[in-house]
Amino acid sequence: MSQNESTIDSESESLITTDVQPDTTAESASSATTIVETEQLNVYYGDDQALDDVSIAIPENQVTALIGPSGCGKSTFLRCLNRMNDLIDIARIDGTVTLRGIDIYDDAVDPVALRRKIGMVFQKPNPFPKSIYDNVAYGLKVQGKEITDERIEEALRSAALWDEVKDQLDQSGLELSGGQQQRLCIARAIAPDPDIVLMDEPTSALDPVAASKIEDLIDELVEDYTVIIVTHNMQQAARISDQTAVFLTGGELVEYDDTTTIFENPADDRVEDYITGKFG
Amino acid sequence: MARDRYRDRLATLRTDVVLFGELVVERYESAVAAAANGDLRAADRIVSGDSEINRRYLELEGDCIDLIARNQPVAGDLRLITASFKILTDLERIADLATNLAERTEYGSEVHPAVDLGSLGLAAGEMVAAAVDAYENDDRAACRAVAADDDTLDSDCAAATQRIIRELLAERAGDDERVRTADTTTRGLLTVRDIERVGDHAVNIAARTLYMLDSDDELLY
Repeated sequence: MSQNESTIDSESESLITTDVQPDTTAESASSATTIVETEQLNVYYGDDQALDDVSIAIPENQVTALIGPSGCGKSTFLRCLNRMNDLIDIARIDGTVTLRGIDIYDDAVDPVALRRKIGMVFQKPNPFPKSIYDNVAYGLKVQGKEITDERIEEALRSAALWDEVKDQLDQSGLELSGGQQQRLCIARAIAPDPDIVLMDEPTSALDPVAASKIEDLIDELVEDYTVIIVTHNMQQAARISDQTAVFLTGGELVEYDDTTTIFENPADDRVEDYITGKFG
Repeated sequence: MARDRYRDRLATLRTDVVLFGELVVERYESAVAAAANGDLRAADRIVSGDSEINRRYLELEGDCIDLIARNQPVAGDLRLITASFKILTDLERIADLATNLAERTEYGSEVHPAVDLGSLGLAAGEMVAAAVDAYENDDRAACRAVAADDDTLDSDCAAATQRIIRELLAERAGDDERVRTADTTTRGLLTVRDIERVGDHAVNIAARTLYMLDSDDELLY
């Protein structure tokens, strides 16, 4: 398959309630198949523009890092991918976002079904005040899947948490350490078997050892999922990502390339200045 | 401010590498002059001074490692440090080759008449000086000029080697003279080889400088 072709699987088609023709022109910076693409994406919060004409093609089963100074729009961009900005009254979105060629902002797309396909992990671990078992079961329940011990174990194993909690599944998720709580949230996010896992600074509240475990986990997750991660830690972006997108103030996507190029020889002087700490 | 200190240290590293390069060029040129003039005292100073070069080399290498470990440099900063790290090694090797020249001078055998130290030896030193200047001044054209000069040096070194071999084959001397001829021939061949290597190290410095400036691997091999 050429890089310009996108595939539409039956599960993506299940996002839509009426006929929507997929856009198959997606191009990626990588040779891998594009899974999600934006075209001239602009986001406004009231009169403030948070994203400025962002066009980007993100490849499947790879880690894409979004970096940039605070307020540059990278978290806004992340939330556009699963329509979390729909929940903000003053947010206005122009442009297109396609998942496997389907416009996710089309009226025919069900946002709840979309969020099942695009899971999210936040900066601060936010397990429900329920047992470890029930936290993961929730992920299955929202997908409408049967809750079985085997599926719970599979999700916890995929989140590299099973060995640490298998004998205490009835314990509250809130009693786990910060790093374990974050991995529990990842287990909950991947239990519905999404296509994409969005991560918004998932290790910034964790100690280095716990952060390292999450990074190792991301390495494993990408075999089955596409990971898009916002991080302020540039060394983390350099360690774990395949592509890096650099946003700068004003919501402009300044440069998007493979991570090695960004961190060894960026094309844009502003990126060079930002990643070497000359401003930001 | 930590970032200001970091940028100061990067600038200092570059200055220190240039100063180290100038020191090495000076030592190499002194070694060539000592060999040409048979100056045993100067040769002895060069040999005994090599430990000081090694000490400074290890200090600067340590600075590079420390900058990487403590600042996780990227992009242009990373290329500056890694290029400097490699250039330091080339400079230290040039100093070793200068020491080789000086040790052969101490040994006392004459320089083979087929080896024109005033031309070959100094040409290699000028290449090193030009490469260090290019590193100091972001001079891309000078980097490429050093590589071009090395083609000429290689050709001149090959010609000198041919002359030594031809003279050896043409010798019709008695036993005593054969021993002297063997020493002179060996020294001549080793000297030409070392000068050619000094030129190669100069090209390495130019190549790393070009990489440092533009991530351009044109001269790397």
